Amino acid sequence: MTRTRKPGVSRRTTLAMMGAGAVTFATPWVARAQAKTIKVGMPTILSGRVAQLGTSSRNGVMLEIEKVNAAGGLAGRQIEMVIRDSKGQPQEAARVARELVNTDGCEILIDAEASSGAFAVHEVARDLGVLCLHTNSETSALTADPKQHIPNAFRTARQGVHDSIVGGSYAAAIAKAKGLKRWATCSPDYAYGRDTTGEYVTYLKRFAPDTEIISESWPKLFQPDYTEVVTKILQAKPQALYSCLWGGDLTSYIDQANIYALFSQMEVFAVNMADYTALTVVKNLPKGIHSGNRYIKTYPATPENAAWGDAYKAKYNEYPTNWSWENATAIMLLAEASKKANSADGKKIAEALRGLKIKSPFGADGTVTMRAEDQTLVGYAIGWGTTIPQEPYVPQVQAGDWKTIFELEAEWKKSKGYT
Amino acid sequence: MTELQAEQAAVMPRIESQSQRSRYRDVLIALAAFAVLAILPMLTGSKALLDFVIRCSAFGLFATSLNLLVGFTGLVSFGHGMFFGLGAYGFGLIMQRSGLPVPVAFVATLVITTLIATVIGAICVRLKEIYFAFVTLAFQMLIHSTILSWVSLTGGDQGLRGGIPRPAFFGVDLSNHVHLYITSCALLVIGLLLMRQIAQSPFGYTLRMIRDNAIRASFIGIDVWRAKLTIFVLAALFASTGGIIMALFVSGAYPEFAYWTISGEGIFINMLGGVTTFLGPMVGTVLLLILNDTVTRLTEYYGIVLGIVILFFAIGLRKGLMDFVVEWYARRRNGSGE
Repeated sequence: MTRTRKPGVSRRTTLAMMGAGAVTFATPWVARAQAKTIKVGMPTILSGRVAQLGTSSRNGVMLEIEKVNAAGGLAGRQIEMVIRDSKGQPQEAARVARELVNTDGCEILIDAEASSGAFAVHEVARDLGVLCLHTNSETSALTADPKQHIPNAFRTARQGVHDSIVGGSYAAAIAKAKGLKRWATCSPDYAYGRDTTGEYVTYLKRFAPDTEIISESWPKLFQPDYTEVVTKILQAKPQALYSCLWGGDLTSYIDQANIYALFSQMEVFAVNMADYTALTVVKNLPKGIHSGNRYIKTYPATPENAAWGDAYKAKYNEYPTNWSWENATAIMLLAEASKKANSADGKKIAEALRGLKIKSPFGADGTVTMRAEDQTLVGYAIGWGTTIPQEPYVPQVQAGDWKTIFELEAEWKKSKGYT
Repeated sequence: MTELQAEQAAVMPRIESQSQRSRYRDVLIALAAFAVLAILPMLTGSKALLDFVIRCSAFGLFATSLNLLVGFTGLVSFGHGMFFGLGAYGFGLIMQRSGLPVPVAFVATLVITTLIATVIGAICVRLKEIYFAFVTLAFQMLIHSTILSWVSLTGGDQGLRGGIPRPAFFGVDLSNHVHLYITSCALLVIGLLLMRQIAQSPFGYTLRMIRDNAIRASFIGIDVWRAKLTIFVLAALFASTGGIIMALFVSGAYPEFAYWTISGEGIFINMLGGVTTFLGPMVGTVLLLILNDTVTRLTEYYGIVLGIVILFFAIGLRKGLMDFVVEWYARRRNGSGE
């Protein structure tokens, strides 16, 4: 006997159709639930050599997002982060940013790109008019140049020129005290390295006019071997050395220069040393390297900052980076501005952000401010100190004076033709 | 008149009318393709789809022009990306500094590209195979380094900042998304049509001959160097046009546009789509961009996925997708004919 299939609808088909029907009817509910959340897009670099930029930025953001969501989100809407890799290519950063807004329906952008990507995302923000917070680019021109200015873009990161002013005045004080006249520089050969070094030297000479630069080295970015650079500096016999090498470049430079006992022969000023990414990786951290603070949990020496650093460490099993605090600040400002505007609307938040001062673990006086005129962050903790080989690594940080920074920054802007 | 000549005389008009017909067919296909692309914005409100097509236009022109060198002439250029970058920077700089109308800047960029490509090509096309590949790569790195170090002009590694101004011309406003989309589609279709004409012309067949046997070609009186140089410059022009579209899309130009990775992407697109058919690179472009967009959406391990796909095409298929499809189709047709 053969059994043939009965005509009509089988049980399996019925079940499938019922399932499909349930999904169809349920979809509007899901959609409505989603409409209550607000999507925030974040293009960043998650792969390649500077993937740490993206991952530690993401960690900083997510740490704060959890708190904001637990407290009710942005004007009652839960925040949903959509984070995508731009692979460090500006055209991809632009593409991803556009897609996040146009397809994924993100209403706010956190631009956690390195400098060239940040300028690409800035153009997208200009084009689409979406609220955009630049969190990683420290290139001064991004906000200082009035041609770049758009009402919907803000920067929650440091700014190169602030670092140079503080670094220059700190170095000049030590140069005068110790009689350091002959200086050498050693910085990576690209815009950041050249600009930062140039500005630093300008301010060093301004505060200590009798200093001179007797040797300059420009190793390539990501250069593996620094022997020739180290020997060149040793032969020039400077009394002090300035460097803005960072991350892996800085740590391999120090490891290689240690072999030649370079650090006992001159005072070394390395602006990017006091960041855990560099401090914890160097094998024998020399004592007494002068460095600007990037992120360390002991400066500002407040319980809030220490608690934030520990919370981050507890969650991600590593210390925060400079990028972590810059990104966390973006979320803190966003939440506060939304509360002030009582809205999650980008335009209203932008309005509230201008001139907004918030409490912050990263503030020089416990607060940071989104300056209204050029929409960039000011009042963050900025200072210099010397290293020791173990925690807390930089025990005493000399704070930079924001009054001086503002004066010299205004002067710098005028000299650049920005005002 | 010898017998052979008589035969040729009889055959010639037939071939000519055939090529005439195929040319009309190409134009019709191009018009149809443009019409379909042009009504797309009316059918869908998806800006992402329009963005996708704009990027396809930029990379499609670039990859197809590279195939004129790789597939049709046998010149494996590793430095084709320099012309992509040159187009983006040339156009961006002219628009930012001079305020000329868009079409004038477009033509001026192509003129600059022609000059530079002629100089570089004159040096490179004398060389064969790996030497050609590496000297083109060297020139690319030279241009990339120039962009990086000429900070006052190019902005160095931060790229051209401040956006590219785009005054309206003939009622076309390129800051309008749909206008930019239509313009990109038009450039793509016209570019592909022109490249198709080059590939199907007697000159195109000369190139194939050079690819297959350059010595024989020179024995029958072809100036191999001149033919190679001509196609090198022509390909550069289309790559440059791709760069211009990209500059308009991101409203800027960045050193990455002239970096070797862009050339590598072009080579990869050709591997993916196939080099023996004219539309292979275009198919490869669409594939790579879809792959790129979906994979980056799902995971941050883009490199691993892409690597596996490359392995699949290189070891599994041993040819591009279009090559595979064409062969499969031919086999099927022969099979059913028997």
